Amino acid sequence: MSPGSPAPGAIDARWDAGELGCGDLVLELRARMESMRPGQLLELTARDPGARADIPAWCRMTGHTLVTEQHPLYQIRRKEN
Amino acid sequence: MANRFCVSLTHAKDNQDKATVGFVVANAATGSGKETLVFLSVEGVRLAQKGYADDIREEGFAPLRELMDNFAKAGGTIYVCSPCFKKRKLDENNLVAGAAIVGGAKLVEFLSEGSPCVSY
Repeated sequence: MSPGSPAPGAIDARWDAGELGCGDLVLELRARMESMRPGQLLELTARDPGARADIPAWCRMTGHTLVTEQHPLYQIRRKEN
Repeated sequence: MANRFCVSLTHAKDNQDKATVGFVVANAATGSGKETLVFLSVEGVRLAQKGYADDIREEGFAPLRELMDNFAKAGGTIYVCSPCFKKRKLDENNLVAGAAIVGGAKLVEFLSEGSPCVSY
């Protein structure tokens, strides 16, 4: 586990996006984040090589918090509203 | 005036003229002090492979390899469309200097922060 990773059990939802990438990945990611409650944590597995750049960019744009990133694993905390 | 500039490039050896002019303009942008992005998509992603551009030389222009090297040395960034790259089964471990494989979100972020974009 990388420094700053939440303790196991703190994860509220997991999603293995497999090789999904680009627009398909972030569109589905948006829907999944919207279905969660504010403050909840999603663990995402995204193997597309573009995810390394895209997931941090998507979090900056949408206001969700990228808690940890260790490609292909990403933990994202849902924003407050 | 925006401090950024984007060149969207969709061609490689299928249109060497456009591929070359795209990097000529990108170098004009870096030379003008702009934070410059070349977004390679569709056939353009082939340019991100080391060695691919070595034999592209359009009359009246510097060789494309030289233009791309100069762009990287000047601090230019190349985004390579991930699905376009995967579709062509290219090698992500053989990228030219300054290139990174990205999906759409990274491009959207760059342009949304305020950047003109010219397409070739």
